[in-house]
Amino acid sequence: MNINRNILRSILVLSYVLVIGFIMYGFSALYSYLNTGADRSSMLHTDIKKIDQYLPKITWEALKNEGRPMDEQTLGRIETNYLDAWYIKHLGYQTNTKKGLDDYYTENARKNIYAIIDENLDAGMTIQSTTLQHDLNLEFFSEDGQLVVITDKNVVEYKRIYKNETLLLETTDVSTYKVILLLEDGFWRIRHMVKESSADFKSDNKTVSNKNIDIRGINYYPQASPWDMFGEQFDANIISKDFKRIKDAGLNSIRIFVPYEAFGKANVDTEKLKKLVQVMDVAEAEHIKVMVTLFDFYGDYSVLDWTLNHRHAETIISTLKHHNALLAWDIKNEPNLDFESRNKTNVMAWLDHMINLVKSLDSEHPVTIGWSNAESATLLIDKVDFISFHYYEALDDLETTYKTLKTDITDKPIAITEFGMSSYSGLWNPFGNSETDQAEYHKDSQTIFSENNIPFMSWTLYDFTDIPKEVVGRLPWRKNAQKRFGFIDEHGVEKEAYEYINSP
Amino acid sequence: MMHKRAYILATVLMFIGSFSLVGQSEIKDTFKLLTHDTEFEAGQNILLKFSGNSETNPLLYCTNSYGSVVIQGTNKNKILTFEMPKSIANKTGLVNWKLLTNATNLSGKFYITPKQEVITMETYLGPPSIEAGGTDYAMLVVIPTDPLDNPLQDSTQVNVKHQFLTSEYNNVVYTNYLIAYKNLYSETKSGRMLINSEALGTNSKEYTLNVLPAIPTNFKISYQQHHNYADGNQITTFTTSVIRDKYDNIVSDGTYVDVFITNKDNNILKTSGTTINGIATAKMIHPDHEDTWAVKAFIEGMAESDPLSLNFKQVITDFEVVFSDNSRTITVGPLQSFMKQMIPDGLQVKLHVYQNNTKIKTLIKSSFEGYVIFKLNEDIIPVPNDINDTFKIIIETARIEKSFENIKL
Repeated sequence: MNINRNILRSILVLSYVLVIGFIMYGFSALYSYLNTGADRSSMLHTDIKKIDQYLPKITWEALKNEGRPMDEQTLGRIETNYLDAWYIKHLGYQTNTKKGLDDYYTENARKNIYAIIDENLDAGMTIQSTTLQHDLNLEFFSEDGQLVVITDKNVVEYKRIYKNETLLLETTDVSTYKVILLLEDGFWRIRHMVKESSADFKSDNKTVSNKNIDIRGINYYPQASPWDMFGEQFDANIISKDFKRIKDAGLNSIRIFVPYEAFGKANVDTEKLKKLVQVMDVAEAEHIKVMVTLFDFYGDYSVLDWTLNHRHAETIISTLKHHNALLAWDIKNEPNLDFESRNKTNVMAWLDHMINLVKSLDSEHPVTIGWSNAESATLLIDKVDFISFHYYEALDDLETTYKTLKTDITDKPIAITEFGMSSYSGLWNPFGNSETDQAEYHKDSQTIFSENNIPFMSWTLYDFTDIPKEVVGRLPWRKNAQKRFGFIDEHGVEKEAYEYINSP
Repeated sequence: MMHKRAYILATVLMFIGSFSLVGQSEIKDTFKLLTHDTEFEAGQNILLKFSGNSETNPLLYCTNSYGSVVIQGTNKNKILTFEMPKSIANKTGLVNWKLLTNATNLSGKFYITPKQEVITMETYLGPPSIEAGGTDYAMLVVIPTDPLDNPLQDSTQVNVKHQFLTSEYNNVVYTNYLIAYKNLYSETKSGRMLINSEALGTNSKEYTLNVLPAIPTNFKISYQQHHNYADGNQITTFTTSVIRDKYDNIVSDGTYVDVFITNKDNNILKTSGTTINGIATAKMIHPDHEDTWAVKAFIEGMAESDPLSLNFKQVITDFEVVFSDNSRTITVGPLQSFMKQMIPDGLQVKLHVYQNNTKIKTLIKSSFEGYVIFKLNEDIIPVPNDINDTFKIIIETARIEKSFENIKL
């Protein structure tokens, strides 16, 4: 009886404390909510940031215009407004709305665009478009500084036309425009636009002759910072030791990843870029070649994002293209996995134009796409210099798969740039593979590789302890499996498979 | 029941229809372009015709200077006809088209030229005023546009006409990259230029351009005054000669002229005026004592006048001082001007009080009806502690000083 009463008492007291605690928490949450808000600096809008949303490649011919001499600042303003005019037009045709057009087209000029928007709206057409390049020449600048005429040459214009969301046409053309802009209310607005010539776009890519690529490599992340190689934990010494180990294991190349957003998107973070160059330097010192995979963790592909992607790639490629350690450019890791969510046409067009860009910047290093399976490997074979795909299926089929591909693709080398087996067996997968199974797998793989002379890159050097959720999601059976793909376990001890890292 | 049947029928038809479509695509639709014109005039009814081997009705994609459309044509007797919508047919420039069939990739282009007719002469003239002398110019930019708001073809003749003073001119220019322009240079005379332009018989409205005089040249300055006495009351007026530029144009009204006056003490007095019909006037009050002024006028940074010198004669030669009320009331005057008339009100008189050779007070008063009365109040100059203390008083006006010593207050 007494005990019951004590229990009752303590429950009462506890619930009282809890109720009070909740009320207090509620009040404090409300109080702190009411105290949040604009701080002074944001209240005054003192930090107006220009957001990069449209950055096609721009070149200006040397200024030899008639009329008033041009100054840098005005030219910059004209360029910005002119590009904004294109951007707003793309947006207008994509959504069939007229918002914002009046800022960049004069009253008479905007009527032309409105008419087309109205027509497309009636017909249920939408157009996704972007321009990738503008070669501008200033023809004329009026004496009072209110009117310019420019010629816009080599405008590479990509368009996708949909009728009621069905794709009708995908087209890229190169055109020349004559444009008159007027300075009105502080905006350079388009007054007249006349297309002078136009032709279908043809990329003049040349295949990098690469008949015998000698890749015996491995995908690399430092053990402590997988998928975050260039972050806070970056340590060139560790990477140097790892590269030495890779070299000593008899391998000659690695595959690394450049994350798009972490590298600052269109404006590449110079600190990160320095780290990337450092990695390349270390690799060169160890005589290891590096395949650089671009656009890791990128998944937008939307047409109006392309110009930003291109500026990102441009910075990285122009920084690394003369580096001795560079082996090849892998445009994107497993883009075929985005076919469903991001639309195959979209992804393919993105890859196509990205290859054009990469090749226009670097004509010496081969380009490939790291497809996630052999079925996708035949895509864009005309554009890539060698084919690469990833293989995680049963080894029994590997030889046939590879040979079939070989008969389809005769003139370009085919590499397997990811393969491997997790040695995870435990709570989340009690019937998983053991380390011995893993070793067996690698032994068999190497046998097939050496018999068929297949260039390879295995996944991966280390077992990892932390896998970011972006890689395989949050599901523990996936995460745990992903942790055990290495040749070296989390304590730095070589696993059984290590013996077969390079040969059967 | 009827509905149900209709649905079934429709479904069956669609089913058959889809088969027939597939069937056709296997045969492959072949179309041939019948329209061989590759140049049209804006606003024309543009028809693209194709002959085909079927009754299918594919879409046509067209893209022009401003955007892209996809249009539906009509197929009659295996002749496929597309009529260009206004948004395409009315705008000049290259039009590319693609026939969206499942088979052959038929594409082509045609050019739309502007109408040979001008409806507006879009004109931009700037700057709105220029300097005379033949080196400065304004630019006239003309965009002749056709009735559909298209700029005319390059090499269209534009007559730029302008009138200035007694002359009228006509210059022929040709459009290049959509515009035509002409630099209109000033002549040596200032005045107003009227401008007009014309293309294909259409004239613009009248535009005006002000040709302003060039920068002024050096000028002369003179003065007028009622007398040359330093009475501190009259005003001397300085007048410039007619200020002109080097082409003899009178400078613009409102040109600002600074007049600097340096007196005997090397102090500078400054006055100014703005020109009307080339003449600026500036005024300065006379000094109250004998003085010599060196005068020079400037139009800042551009021109200056000849120097000018003028003298002022002393008007007051002497004055009386009367002490009363235990020397605490001091009457100065009469202060008389050059004809012994009472000096006009406002002449400054200073009174300095010294105690043991140290100045303890200065009082300043203006004359009224020829007199100045100082009252040395005990609050201002207290009675000294030592009864034997004496004061010195100095009275000063028009640069004349009178000293009175050993005054007891």
